[in-house]
Amino acid sequence: MASLLQPDRVLYLVHGEKKIRSPLSTLYFCRYCSELRSLECVSHEVDSHYCPSCLENMPSAEAKLKKNRKRICNQLNENFRCANCFDCPCCMHTLSTRATNIPAPLPDDPSKTAMKKAYYLACGFCRWTSRDVGMADKSVASGGWQEPDNPHTQRINKLIEYYQQLAQREKLERDRKKLARRRPYMPLAFSEKYGLGTRLQRQRPGAPITSLAGLSLKEGEDQKEINIEPAQALDEVEPLPEDCYTRPINLPEVTSLRQRLLQPDFQPAGASQLHPKHKHLLIKRSLRCRKCEHNLSKPEFNPTSIKFKIQLVAVSYIPEVRIMSIPNLRFQKECQVLLTLTNPVENITHVTLVGCEEGDPEDINSTAKVMVPTKELVLAGKDAAAEYDELAEPQDFQDDPDVVAFRKSNKIGFFIKVVPQREEDGDVTVSFKIRHDFRNLAAPIRPSEEGDAPAEAIWLTHHVELSLGPIIA
Amino acid sequence: MPLFEGLGSGGEKTAVVIDLGAAYTKCGFAGETGPRFIIPSEIQKPGQQQSIKVVQYNINTEELYSNLKEFIHTLYFRHLLVNPRDRRVLIIESILCPSHFRETLTKVFFKQFEVPSVLFAPSHLLSIMSLGINSGLVMDCGYTETLVLPVYECIPILSAWEALPLGGKAIHKELDGLLVEQCTVDSDSSTGQSLPTVIGSIPEEVVEDIKVRTCFVSDLQRGLKIQEAKFNLEGTAERPTPPPDVDYPLDGEKILHIKGPIRDSVMEMLFEQDNEEKSVATLVLDTLVKCPIDTRKVLSENLVIIGGTAMLPGFLHRLLAEIRFLVDKPKYRDALATKSFRLHSPPAKPNCTAWLGGAIFGALQDILGSRSVSRDYYNQTGRIPDWCCLSSPPPESVYDAGKTPPPLMKRAFSTEK
Repeated sequence: MASLLQPDRVLYLVHGEKKIRSPLSTLYFCRYCSELRSLECVSHEVDSHYCPSCLENMPSAEAKLKKNRKRICNQLNENFRCANCFDCPCCMHTLSTRATNIPAPLPDDPSKTAMKKAYYLACGFCRWTSRDVGMADKSVASGGWQEPDNPHTQRINKLIEYYQQLAQREKLERDRKKLARRRPYMPLAFSEKYGLGTRLQRQRPGAPITSLAGLSLKEGEDQKEINIEPAQALDEVEPLPEDCYTRPINLPEVTSLRQRLLQPDFQPAGASQLHPKHKHLLIKRSLRCRKCEHNLSKPEFNPTSIKFKIQLVAVSYIPEVRIMSIPNLRFQKECQVLLTLTNPVENITHVTLVGCEEGDPEDINSTAKVMVPTKELVLAGKDAAAEYDELAEPQDFQDDPDVVAFRKSNKIGFFIKVVPQREEDGDVTVSFKIRHDFRNLAAPIRPSEEGDAPAEAIWLTHHVELSLGPIIA
Repeated sequence: MPLFEGLGSGGEKTAVVIDLGAAYTKCGFAGETGPRFIIPSEIQKPGQQQSIKVVQYNINTEELYSNLKEFIHTLYFRHLLVNPRDRRVLIIESILCPSHFRETLTKVFFKQFEVPSVLFAPSHLLSIMSLGINSGLVMDCGYTETLVLPVYECIPILSAWEALPLGGKAIHKELDGLLVEQCTVDSDSSTGQSLPTVIGSIPEEVVEDIKVRTCFVSDLQRGLKIQEAKFNLEGTAERPTPPPDVDYPLDGEKILHIKGPIRDSVMEMLFEQDNEEKSVATLVLDTLVKCPIDTRKVLSENLVIIGGTAMLPGFLHRLLAEIRFLVDKPKYRDALATKSFRLHSPPAKPNCTAWLGGAIFGALQDILGSRSVSRDYYNQTGRIPDWCCLSSPPPESVYDAGKTPPPLMKRAFSTEK
């Protein structure tokens, strides 16, 4: 069955902001809106974080705050980096902790030496070790490795505090101006003229931002004034060292741009300053329908589990059309193509196929005329136990042998007739509409008192496009 | 280490700060000391080996929209790992960014990712903020161009901007040409082959890596001698001794022999004055000439150099020396009275300085909130104001299929109707 490996030969049309055509295996089905959704018309959300190497689930920072975990752990989770795992700064592979035995003097008896374990980090791929950058071996297996601090942190924090103070002043002034502006006797022309006089009035959104320099810290207004030293400009810059012009370069010692950019704070030029960084986390994503805000896909929290809590994928609700066999397609000659239709739900589904009319706005790609079977096709429900149940009676559907080629549990094969209309290079494309009944098993909005069939069938129509391959002359 | 007080204290979540450059994008959170990630501004389409640059101004809206959407998607879900809906966005941009690109970017943020608000901030102004000063002459040496903009008392002097297309892109092109012309490749089967015969063309990443690891900017005296030797037709000027050759490995099997002279001469193109006598150094002086007289002294003593190209070894020293050398030339000697030039060193690497300014600004939550364009405002008006077209919508892009180009302005004396 070639279509298993070529899913993009059968495309379903999704009605969203943009009309998107994609295979059914990539689509989602919103049961509440009863519509197909593609990845582009749902909103993506971050569900949970996990480390790809130690597979530890990182709950969100708020959850950690409530549980009062250690501060270092919190900070690393703010950074979205794993506390235990490191990345090799040379090749970005995961580092493994190795242990050696070193002789060390016993604490009680300095003359005797005993073997103590010392741990260092090593990369299995490029053979980098933490000793290459001069990091001393640690005595604990994990938790001893620290990333170096940015030397400019203090200055930057001071700058932020200073500007926050200016910002508070601006806010106070603005609020004061708002209250003070209500003067009914002020003529309109007067306020127009001085309308944008001070920069603080009417900050139009989107207008170029003006900085906060117009405000100066008024003396005596605040007890705690943070004064910042403006940066001092330098007269001289350090020149290149003389041996730069004559010394041959040892290329492995010079870091490449990618290695430098992995450490944005330091960006070292020499390989002896590359320190390992904690490993970056990955996320699990949940999807949400934009119209009804229901979740379409929600994975499990546990990183080792591939199941989903909510999984509203289209292949489990919509009957799937697949191409089974294609004869030689000839220009202007009628060919019979064998397609299969699979029923994903457990009840019997009735499917009607309708060809596209002339001038259908959705039918833009078809290059051939298609004759679909006019009778209604009935699909048996999917029965998981059917293959084990030998005594099951075969269900009796009267199948027209011209239309239905075979029937096997919840799948039927049927014929369509295709007449290629264009003699050109390129695939023959046909499209038709498939109409089927859908029983919504979502919680009913109104509890039905009669107690009859809890789900009512609604009829859904989907536009399907098939790409049948080139014309063989 | 990030400030810990942001989350859980009841305030807003920290804003996302993105500096979308032509070559690299710096992204991170407000209030931090450095960007979390510096990634190339490219997306990889499945099935294609060549990555696509995201910042392109000449493609039609739909393609730009889908490229930007995919790029911002990886930014949020691979690197920043936060929900777009929760946090405001501060985008650092160049003032010469076309309105059409901005509009498309805003549309991606509001329609696709539903962020609460967006603010576009000019990179030159924010670099001043990272220093704690009010005025400065900011030169951004980036990938596509070098752009100089003076800022006086926190207001950009827009009329005095100067730019030249001498940036990383031009350097790569020049270096590629020199490598193809002069260098040989050894592969396992043969030695000394010229480059085009062994591999078709060098990918730009490799050229960039060669530039970063082997090239440097010579100081003024040496540089002038190299330029003389290059343009000297009689051959009398002698070139200073070139640095040693480098053997650069290409994909593990081939070795590229980079000739010594290339290493120091390729950067001279930034300082060679072309026919209009413009170079990266004259930009600074030309800007000063355009500025009001009273501001010149303050500006010349507060030079700030940002951008990735400024991180080349020896660049800053050479730039300062060139400026001092040129200011004595007759062209500038009479025009400029100020002769003292001083350079700032910001608390971050030059390629992250603008980002740092943005992070500091983004940490002021009320100010960010009051000056941003909110999603409601965008839904009402349908466009984001730009400094060049605050109230009228920008002209339609000429690259969109099916749209007629804007009508040419008729001349005043024309008799056509």
